[in-house]
Amino acid sequence: MGNGFLQRLFGKESSKDVAKRRLKFALVYDQLEVSNTTLTNLQQDIVDVISKYFEIDKTSLKLDIQRSGDMSALVFNTPILSARRTRYRNQH
Amino acid sequence: MEGKVIVITSGKGGVGKTTATASIGAALALEGNRVAVVDMDIGLRNLDVVMGLENRIVFNVVDAAKGKCQVKQAAIKDRRIDNLYLIPASQSDNKNALNPESMVKLSEKLRAEFDFILMDCPAGIEQGFENAVAGADEAVVVCTPEVSAVRDADRIIGLLYARSITPKLIINRIVPRMVDSGDMLSHEDVVDVLSIDLIGLVEMDEQVVASTNTGLPLVKDGSSKAGQAFRRIAQRLNGQPDLPLEIPTGQTRFWNKIGQKLGLRK
Repeated sequence: MGNGFLQRLFGKESSKDVAKRRLKFALVYDQLEVSNTTLTNLQQDIVDVISKYFEIDKTSLKLDIQRSGDMSALVFNTPILSARRTRYRNQH
Repeated sequence: MEGKVIVITSGKGGVGKTTATASIGAALALEGNRVAVVDMDIGLRNLDVVMGLENRIVFNVVDAAKGKCQVKQAAIKDRRIDNLYLIPASQSDNKNALNPESMVKLSEKLRAEFDFILMDCPAGIEQGFENAVAGADEAVVVCTPEVSAVRDADRIIGLLYARSITPKLIINRIVPRMVDSGDMLSHEDVVDVLSIDLIGLVEMDEQVVASTNTGLPLVKDGSSKAGQAFRRIAQRLNGQPDLPLEIPTGQTRFWNKIGQKLGLRK
């Protein structure tokens, strides 16, 4: 008890606080981990939707999950070649 | 009345699943329930040695699931505690010897014979885990106040939710002195991270090692803090869910009681 009291008195972070913070981060990261197949499927779906409206360069697009601090973002990057004049008709 | 199948699981190995299974099983039997504890760690069986029944194995859970023997033939009766039975794992097969469908069927048979069936789940999230949870009605997750154990517990809890099971948590091997000094996660910290309900807090207890050495039941030892904690967990599983949690303090029960009387401790 004495040890913990002194640590608190001098404002030093105890090892269990470090553990708790690391754990919370690790769990958030774990939950955001997406399998490669999921990413590939997602990419295909996004490409299909965007292709209805724009002509895009399918070889140089990139889908990624970016994390910084406690934020995370899904980033989809694609060069647009041109807009489609008429909206794609649903072929089926 | 139909029995209840409860899986004891953790994700990480070495956190005390087998000790918890043996102790809670023994405690439930001491309260007069018919109890079967099932070792689901196929190929790496250990519940038999922890319970001191390793010399009496004839049939095992794989035999029972495959219909090579009757459930009753595979269940070894504990001689020290009435109504306590062990169904051991097979040591020669591997986890693929069973499948979830066969475990669902076996669980049905077990419910007819016993009040409580405790499945001692192997570590990991592969086939062995799938088999152990397949027939379960409820789940108890065991973890220790360590980063690695809590992280794995979180994963397991997620997998159980996906099967519509809401597990209860046991925090095992709490060292009150370290919690006080800020060098061990407290039970509040662990619950805060995992956000599930507790069913028991178990203090680090050297008597667990001694009781495993001899194969004698921990819960029969009135001086073992862990043993008594497991008895209270059994009571909570056995129709007393609101039995108050005792928070390990590192002191003997005598000083605890005095403290309670003086209003120093909750």
